[in-house]
Amino acid sequence: MKKEKEPYRNRIELLQGTLDMLILQTLQWGPQHGYGISQGLRSRSSEVLQVETGSLYPALHRMERTRWIAAEWRKTEQNQRARYYRITAEGRRQLASERAKWSGMVEAIASILET
Amino acid sequence: MSLWRRIFGMDTRKSELDEEMEAHRRMAMEDRVARGEREEDARAAVDREIGNQALAKDVTREAWGWVWAERLLQDVRYALRQMKRSPGFAATVIGTLALGIGAATAMFTVVDHVLLRPLPYKDAKQLVTMSEHGNDPRFNSGAPWLDFSQWRAANHSFQDLAFWKGMDGRNYLQGNATALQIDGQEVSPNLFAVLGAKPALGPGFIDEQPGFGAVKNAGSIVLSHAVWETAFGGDKGIVGRKVRVNDQRWTVVGVMPAGFQFPYDNYPAGQVWTVRQLDGDDKKLDPHGDDVAQYTVMGRLRPEVTVKAARAEMATIQKQVAAQYTDPEQRAYRNLVKVDRYGDTLVGADIRKALLALLAAAGALWLIASVNVTNLLLARSTARQREIAMRGALGASRGRVLQQMMVEGLVLSSSAAALGIALALVAIRITGSVASIHLNVDFSTHVNVAILAMLCGLTLMTAVVSSAWPALLAVRAPIEPALKQGGQQTGAGRRHNRMRSALVAIEVAMSLTLLVACGLLLRTIYTLRHVPLGYRTDHIVVANLSIPTYRYADNNVVTSLYQPLLERVQQLHGVRMAGMMSEVPLGQTFNIMLSLRLNGQMITAGLKPVSPQIQSIFGMKMLAGRFYNAEDTPNSAPVVVVNEAFAREFAPNQHDPRSVVGMGLWSVQKGAPKARVIGVLDDERQVRVDRPSQPEVDPCLCQLKPNTMSYQPSTIAMDLAVRTNRPTAEMIPEIRAVLKQASPELANSTFSTMDQIVEDSFGSQRLAAHLLEIFGGSALLLCVAGLYGLLAYVVSQRTRELGLRIALGAQRADLSWLVLRQAGGMLLIGVAVGAGLAWASARLVRGFLYGVQAHDGWTLAGAAVLLFLSGMLAAYVPARRAANVDPMEALRAE
Repeated sequence: MKKEKEPYRNRIELLQGTLDMLILQTLQWGPQHGYGISQGLRSRSSEVLQVETGSLYPALHRMERTRWIAAEWRKTEQNQRARYYRITAEGRRQLASERAKWSGMVEAIASILET
Repeated sequence: MSLWRRIFGMDTRKSELDEEMEAHRRMAMEDRVARGEREEDARAAVDREIGNQALAKDVTREAWGWVWAERLLQDVRYALRQMKRSPGFAATVIGTLALGIGAATAMFTVVDHVLLRPLPYKDAKQLVTMSEHGNDPRFNSGAPWLDFSQWRAANHSFQDLAFWKGMDGRNYLQGNATALQIDGQEVSPNLFAVLGAKPALGPGFIDEQPGFGAVKNAGSIVLSHAVWETAFGGDKGIVGRKVRVNDQRWTVVGVMPAGFQFPYDNYPAGQVWTVRQLDGDDKKLDPHGDDVAQYTVMGRLRPEVTVKAARAEMATIQKQVAAQYTDPEQRAYRNLVKVDRYGDTLVGADIRKALLALLAAAGALWLIASVNVTNLLLARSTARQREIAMRGALGASRGRVLQQMMVEGLVLSSSAAALGIALALVAIRITGSVASIHLNVDFSTHVNVAILAMLCGLTLMTAVVSSAWPALLAVRAPIEPALKQGGQQTGAGRRHNRMRSALVAIEVAMSLTLLVACGLLLRTIYTLRHVPLGYRTDHIVVANLSIPTYRYADNNVVTSLYQPLLERVQQLHGVRMAGMMSEVPLGQTFNIMLSLRLNGQMITAGLKPVSPQIQSIFGMKMLAGRFYNAEDTPNSAPVVVVNEAFAREFAPNQHDPRSVVGMGLWSVQKGAPKARVIGVLDDERQVRVDRPSQPEVDPCLCQLKPNTMSYQPSTIAMDLAVRTNRPTAEMIPEIRAVLKQASPELANSTFSTMDQIVEDSFGSQRLAAHLLEIFGGSALLLCVAGLYGLLAYVVSQRTRELGLRIALGAQRADLSWLVLRQAGGMLLIGVAVGAGLAWASARLVRGFLYGVQAHDGWTLAGAAVLLFLSGMLAAYVPARRAANVDPMEALRAE
């Protein structure tokens, strides 16, 4: 049987640094584990954004190191052990500045596209 | 390892990450199953979603920031495992590198001690010493005060000039019942200022200008750190106290810092300095005899003045100074000034050259070792191509593989470095005793930080050189073919083999160069050992006496010390005959030169007062006349014996040296009749075995009196020579006891045997020969190991091909021949290149050689044959293995 790599349809390449912002935004609504974050992003983007584990976990661990988020082990509703991440005060500040930058950029791009 | 883990909590975090990912997978699965998917489908979908989980984990761990440490540790562990798995290979690599590093370190230690160590003075490069000489610069002497004062007033080259002079005779710091032999110097009050040195303790000498009015420092003494420690136990209250040196009392005004010495030489017991007090004799214009003190001058150049410029200025000044001399001969002897950078006067040009040549040899050995290791690693990394390809296939990046192989090299070379240091320490200990005799350097100190730093540099370089190259080649190799072909039979390709052959040829060439140098030195030593010395050396104990000079300033040392001592030694059991001589042949202890007027012309000759027994003790032959006997007494007619070289040069009848007998030489006292020559000794090797005899006059000790002109040196230098029946080692303690009884200072005397003295006199040659024996032998060994390693590898690579050849009907001898031919080719190329190298580098060793030409065809041929035969022997084992390849076994793999 011949297998071919199936290209992701509707896949959007995330801009550098955007993933961090999205993760922080997701954690604004409360502590969440890795899978929960990826599911959250997916459903909120109407299934467009699918974050790979190879990007998600490095980002989580990196942000943990920079203390934007903190982690602890907790039980899920299904009574399973999972590592929950929560946003810190520093993370909130970071998110605010990222959002400001983002909206600035969106406006700039929009104004170019609309002329 | 467990400690490391505990510190970084690495394992906990790793398993946590595993668990986290696992939870992710489970939740994703459950979600899908809950949505109604079949379990298998769900699993497949999740797997696809997650993708390469190992990679994801890897990338995540990188985010932790210290993954490099983990990897390094992993690599080190892996390298250690590799070493354990092939101990033979590891031992070869480590041994080879250790040899190279050890040799380089040992040589660098020696060179550092002798050439590179900075002098303990401020801006030592500005310091120059000066002395006066005539047309023959070998005979130079210090400047009398009047010359010095004119130099100091007239020059524009120097910031300041100072002078110094050794204290007369041997010097002792006296305790209650002991006497410590020390070096004593009388200096001008500004000398320490010129050197830019200050005492570590006490104020030091009072600042004053040198001259007749400078008396502020009379009775003051400055001690070296060593004297302070040895004699006063480092007592901080020493300043202001009185000490006794040579029966005179001095007040200590300072202790110099540790490491300071002046003059810069090897004085293990330490030094003291006092300020020279000028006297009436210093006002005399023409210095001759012993009455006018002669000083060595030290100047500090102005920063912008070169030595050359200073030399030119001093030449002009000295012309005017010498013009004032009334004695035309003195003028001729002192019309020039020798100006040398102080640092350059400390190590002779020949020794400097010798050391650099030996350093080059050590460097060559290190290079050979590196080339050898590169070759070995190259062979192995080719053998490991499959392993590397497999790693690549499993996702290892090229950089990662490169790093791992370099870590392997680093682990190997740091083990080698540790072993190399140990080797170097042993080598220094062995060569140090030889070197210290000839180089006058204290080698007791351990390897210093600079050397260790250099060693680390060498190790890193070795690691990079020997791992980077094979690793680069291995990494650049494409993955697929290596995996496809499988088995060990992936031929390395012609290019690799050719390069390795070239490396072996380079090794052979460099080894040949070292072997030739070694051969030349061995022939030199052999020739030197067979030079007729002109005297016997067996069964002779020699004691270089530590004479308390100050005790014999006013009484006759010959009658009060030497003659009673000889009589007592003569009584000892096993002593056949005891005699005295100011310096035994080749003793290199104290050289006395005699200048006298003969037929209206000044001549110079060596002077060695002897006792009558010396001729029989050393078995010296007479060319003419007789030696001293019992009839020669203080009151009989003054007589002297000269040597053949003296007779040849100064005999009245130039064609007959014997005609010197009966010639009157000099008056021992004013108005007394001239001492007559009564005998001519056959030539003997006096200073060095490789130097022909110099003119020498040997007056009789028995006729020396405190008022005769050759008496003075005898209170400083005297060797006791004893011919024994018993083994010399047994005799030495007994003789020492007799000496101590005569005077406590004599217990400091150094003992040796005549055989040993001759051996020691080979100094630089023996040192060079020993080192080159080690270097050459090691190079040969490395060469053989390298050749063997390569051929053994080639044969193992070609097993299948060889098996096929046999299966197709090749003779086994042909297969051996195949391997031997390859070895022969490499050896021949190496020998040809090496012969050229050896020819070109011959001038490096020329200075050491005696009785053999630097371009000696026989030595070259001998070394080439030795190398070739050893190489072929090394090739024989793999050649036999090639011949014994079992075709069935070899082809079964197919």
